[in-house]
Amino acid sequence: MSACLLEGGVLVVAGPSGSGKTTLLRILARLREADSGKVLLDGRLWTEFTPVQWRRRVNYLAQKPAVFDGSVEDNLRRPFELNAVKKELQYDREKALELMERVLLSGSLLNQDARTLSGGETARMALVRALLVEPEALLLDEPLAALDRKSAGAVIELINWWAGAQTGRGLVVVSHVGEFGALPGLSVLELAGEEAGSVE
Amino acid sequence: MNSGVIPISNLQLALSIILVIAAGAIAAGLRLGLLKPLLWGTVRTFVQLTFIGYVLKFVFTVNNLWLVFVMVVIMCFVAARASVGRTPHIPDYPAALAFWSLFTSTVLVGLIVVRVIISPDPWFSARIVIPIFGMILGNSMNGIALSLDRLYTEAYARSGEIESLLAFGATPWEAVRDCVKNAMRAGMTPTINSLMVVGLVSLPGMMTGQILGGADPHEAVRYQIVVMLMIAAAVAIGCLLLVGFSYKRLFTQDGALRLEIFKSRQ
Repeated sequence: MSACLLEGGVLVVAGPSGSGKTTLLRILARLREADSGKVLLDGRLWTEFTPVQWRRRVNYLAQKPAVFDGSVEDNLRRPFELNAVKKELQYDREKALELMERVLLSGSLLNQDARTLSGGETARMALVRALLVEPEALLLDEPLAALDRKSAGAVIELINWWAGAQTGRGLVVVSHVGEFGALPGLSVLELAGEEAGSVE
Repeated sequence: MNSGVIPISNLQLALSIILVIAAGAIAAGLRLGLLKPLLWGTVRTFVQLTFIGYVLKFVFTVNNLWLVFVMVVIMCFVAARASVGRTPHIPDYPAALAFWSLFTSTVLVGLIVVRVIISPDPWFSARIVIPIFGMILGNSMNGIALSLDRLYTEAYARSGEIESLLAFGATPWEAVRDCVKNAMRAGMTPTINSLMVVGLVSLPGMMTGQILGGADPHEAVRYQIVVMLMIAAAVAIGCLLLVGFSYKRLFTQDGALRLEIFKSRQ
């Protein structure tokens, strides 16, 4: 099995439960070891990167995103306290507000305790948090699962815009076929319940 | 200094059993299921302490540096096993890590105390070294057991946060720093609490012992201050070493969280 994520593209990973979609994403994020296979980023083999360098470029967002102590803004800021992020980027409040608006989150939420957010709000906050650190590849595990139709539409639109807004960006999304139906630059990888092979 | 000790005869010692028998009778009457452990504990106390009494007498008489050293190593070994016993499912020889943490912190602090502060003659005098090291060990043992348990509990409860931080490009240390902080705090809290209330709530065992042994309370207090501070130092160093050694074992070589070590918990 082999797949390719093009610049500005979205690769949808689909398949029945237990077919290893999440496992595949976790392997791509190097949060789990692969039994075999290889991954290339920009033509460079993943073993050429240290795990920290790799994860800085390839960000994984779990289906149930983590919420850190503090306000929503504390949560958005948290990645910028890490050395790998800090030396490249600074937290930009304007940008955070813009992204929040795009996924229909009110700016007044910034000061709210993040643990009081609803499931759908948490999912969108986590997406904003992931986009703020500007990964090259973003791995999303069922990003629409907790969302109503309207916010799901906004998320799809944001993802699509983000992928194309700058060169050198791409997304791998675990989702059901059809959810991302109409996007340009979209390809689908169907897992059939067999073990994941190599993804390039 | 020992002139004030009132000896306890065999008969008097036997009389103390009456109290345990009374407690045992109550436990049996209420069907608490405590009779057997209570009796077993009583027997063990008699046997272990009598045995240690002979060992100490021997060690004090011989008073040889190497013999004292071997005693300290054995004490560290037993303490290390006890301290990881309550925290199951930790991979990769946790007792060995606990041993080195306890041994290093105890020897470091203990040596400073016996060489610089108390400075008996000879400096390895078993009569001083064994009880001092024993007190340090007893406390460090509890401290590191609490720390270790807390580290794993926290890492398990917050595995989502840890992985999320890793996914953003955190190093393992950055990802578990909060857990490590809480683990250190858990290990140190009992010691800090005892520094706060010592003498007000209870008189420490060593001081009580010295006073019962006929020592001047002022003298006993000085010893106790040294002991309290050295315990605080040893617990801090022990926890720091053990947590410092242990946190890396939560991760694979690739710096990913080893979720499988949590699977056998709960």
